[in-house]
Amino acid sequence: MKKLQLIASMMLGLAAAGSVSADAGKDTYTKVCAVCHAGGIAAAPRYGNAADWGPRIAKGVPTLYQSALKGTPKGMPAKGGNLTLPDASVKAAVDYMVAAAGGAKAAAEPKADAKKEAKAEPKKEAKPEPKKEAAKEAAKEEAPKAAAAPAPAAVAAAPLVQEGASAADVNSFNRLLKPAGKRNLPPPEDGIHDPANDGTHALQPPLAAFGSLPKSFAGNRVNWVEAIGSGKIKPRWDRTDLTAEPIVMDMNVVREVKGSMPDVVYPHKQHTQWLDCSNCHPAIFTPQKGANQISMASILLGEKCGVCHGKVAFPVSECRLCHSKKKDLVKPATAAAR
Amino acid sequence: MRKLLTGLRGGLFVGLVLALAAVLFVDIQDAQAEYGDVVINNHSDAATMRPVIFPHWFHRVRFACKVCHADLGFKFKAGGNDINMVKIIDGQFCGACHNGEVAWSVENCNLCHSAKPGTPTQVHESTIQKLAQPSGASQKK
Ligand code: HEC
Ligand code: HEC
Ligand code: HEC
Ligand code: HEC
Ligand code: HEC
Ligand code: HEC
Ligand code: HEC
Repeated sequence: MKKLQLIASMMLGLAAAGSVSADAGKDTYTKVCAVCHAGGIAAAPRYGNAADWGPRIAKGVPTLYQSALKGTPKGMPAKGGNLTLPDASVKAAVDYMVAAAGGAKAAAEPKADAKKEAKAEPKKEAKPEPKKEAAKEAAKEEAPKAAAAPAPAAVAAAPLVQEGASAADVNSFNRLLKPAGKRNLPPPEDGIHDPANDGTHALQPPLAAFGSLPKSFAGNRVNWVEAIGSGKIKPRWDRTDLTAEPIVMDMNVVREVKGSMPDVVYPHKQHTQWLDCSNCHPAIFTPQKGANQISMASILLGEKCGVCHGKVAFPVSECRLCHSKKKDLVKPATAAAR
Repeated sequence: MRKLLTGLRGGLFVGLVLALAAVLFVDIQDAQAEYGDVVINNHSDAATMRPVIFPHWFHRVRFACKVCHADLGFKFKAGGNDINMVKIIDGQFCGACHNGEVAWSVENCNLCHSAKPGTPTQVHESTIQKLAQPSGASQKK
């Protein structure tokens, strides 16, 4: 399983690694390395995480340069999969990540000291980048304490800081799936709004708005197609002209899929209720059946259908909404026999 | 020979599909993205304002995508529009509506500038964000 994840994330990494004209380490990091190193895909050492990087930095920075340039058997692709990158850019990106993890100092101090380190020098770290990352991590942890001390090492320290709570939770029923009660939280609890801001408390909680709308099983759990179809919501088609109506075009485009998955039916109807032709044509899709290369990997990476789906429209987990046309499974079988 | 080749190719394909499945597996386990809030922080932190949270879901209840993404020219990219306050008070971007006529006006700073300081630009809880979950980290939510 792990190996597969590696392959998969390498695919993602390769697909993501577009053309890069970077000289600065930060630029290279953002464009190429962050795909894996921001969140730790395939167990890549995470950006700004001293515990992940400490033992590696201990090997010496030149060794890390080599790993980054040549790749490692455990999943680091050579140059992050972007072989056209100049060596200097790759090294700069390594420097950038090493610095964010506390630099060579982190290697000298054993992991157990991460907590101490976090407490001892939150002010000294003035670099904006690690601070952001730490705040993001802290937001995920929903630990207000950690947010107050946004030092890079706070990321590593966070699990240690949470004393009693995590011990009770290790064998909770759902380790990764978010329980129903934690979905669509009101702004002060959602991890990104600042509860100390008075405006936060004046905002509408999502569930107050969603209560009267038809439900779905994914995303923000609203079936937006039905909501607009049944007239539960009437989004304006013009900023001020209340009489403007969309020109809905009912045209399906079938995309045949290799393998066992049902074919994809792309419906113009549900899209043109919301969108203008110019939103998709020609920037995202050439308006010609089959003229566009679309794959699930690109959708997951936020391209093609993934520009919207998984960000502001229903996510990829709802396979059957897109893969909706049953196909004749006999045909491929006979083809294989030949 | 031919059989072998097709076999090989088949194997590769299965491999790819499995690899994809692995990604999806992670996704399904973890995710069910709850897209809806866009954090915009190109300038806010530097200007010591709280970053902006744009409640996307709230606006789509009231306007079709076309209004913002075609008529008003918002690009499909969180943080991709280089918005600032001058543009807003001159009636561009958020200011096309938050002008005291279509919606409340700009003096309500804290309704827009409502994020925890330091929150990076993002589509909160989007699938791509979920795919990049820390692998070894504590998954407490
Ligand atoms: C496709 C995912 C992916 C991308 C993209 C990626 N990495 Fe990695 N990286 C990994 C993984 C997985 C590891 C852990 C591998 C290991 O333990 O040997 C890793 C480890 C490393 C290490 C530590 C190696 C060691 O010897 O301990 C460095 C340094 C590194 N990456 C630098 C980079 C740089 C610089 C970039 C961008 C140019 C980058 N990576 C892009 C997945 C990636
Ligand atoms: C949400 C994105 C989206 C919107 C909005 C959209 N389209 Fe499309 N359109 C597509 C996709 C995807 C295809 C299929 C392309 C392919 O198969 O490679 C397509 C295909 C087409 C085709 C080619 C059909 C064929 O059989 O060759 C035409 C013509 C077209 N669109 C016209 C329009 C018009 C007119 C509008 C506005 C009323 C519109 N589209 C709005 C996504 C969109
Ligand atoms: C510009 C944004 C955008 C793009 C690009 C896009 N979609 Fe959509 N799609 C939407 C929105 C918005 C809806 C309404 C439902 C929602 O918001 O969850 C929708 C709805 C759908 C539905 C209707 C589901 C139902 O319940 O009837 C299908 C099927 C679909 N999309 C498939 C696709 C496919 C396949 C592609 C790529 C070829 C694609 N979409 C690209 C925005 C987009
Ligand atoms: C937003 C719409 C959408 C959703 C949701 C979706 N797919 Fe796809 N899928 C597509 C499109 C479009 C293609 C490309 C078809 C083609 O080649 O023309 C595709 C292709 C595929 C392929 C063929 C290999 C490849 O990468 O091109 C597989 C396998 C697949 N999807 C599996 C899945 C699974 C499993 C799910 C659910 C977890 C899923 N898809 C959800 C739109 C979607
Ligand atoms: C309708 C929403 C909205 C309101 C109301 C609003 N802002 Fe902003 N503001 C934004 C957005 C969006 C940005 C761009 C954020 C970014 O990229 O960091 C921004 C950026 C800023 C910036 C940094 C960029 C610049 O122009 O200097 C400052 C400072 C700022 N706002 C102050 C204020 C103050 C003070 C108020 C109240 C008088 C206010 N804002 C009200 C949406 C708003
Ligand atoms: C009231 C205005 C408004 C409406 C209506 C609206 N959007 Fe947006 N959308 C925005 C703003 C603002 C952003 C963030 C742009 C930024 O950060 O500069 C955004 C971001 C996005 C993004 C980018 C996500 C990413 O990858 O970073 C997509 C895709 C998107 N919207 C699609 C849609 C779709 C589809 C609809 C209709 C269902 C829609 N929008 C309706 C204002 C709107
Ligand atoms: C197409 C018009 C339009 C645009 C563009 C627009 N808004 Fe709004 N917005 C509205 C309307 C209408 C309301 C509801 C006003 C009311 O409740 O009186 C609203 C409400 C809000 C709210 C409060 C939501 C709540 O919980 O009550 C926030 C925050 C907000 N907008 C932020 C923004 C930001 C940030 C931008 C720019 C990135 C923006 N808006 C762009 C029309 C718009």
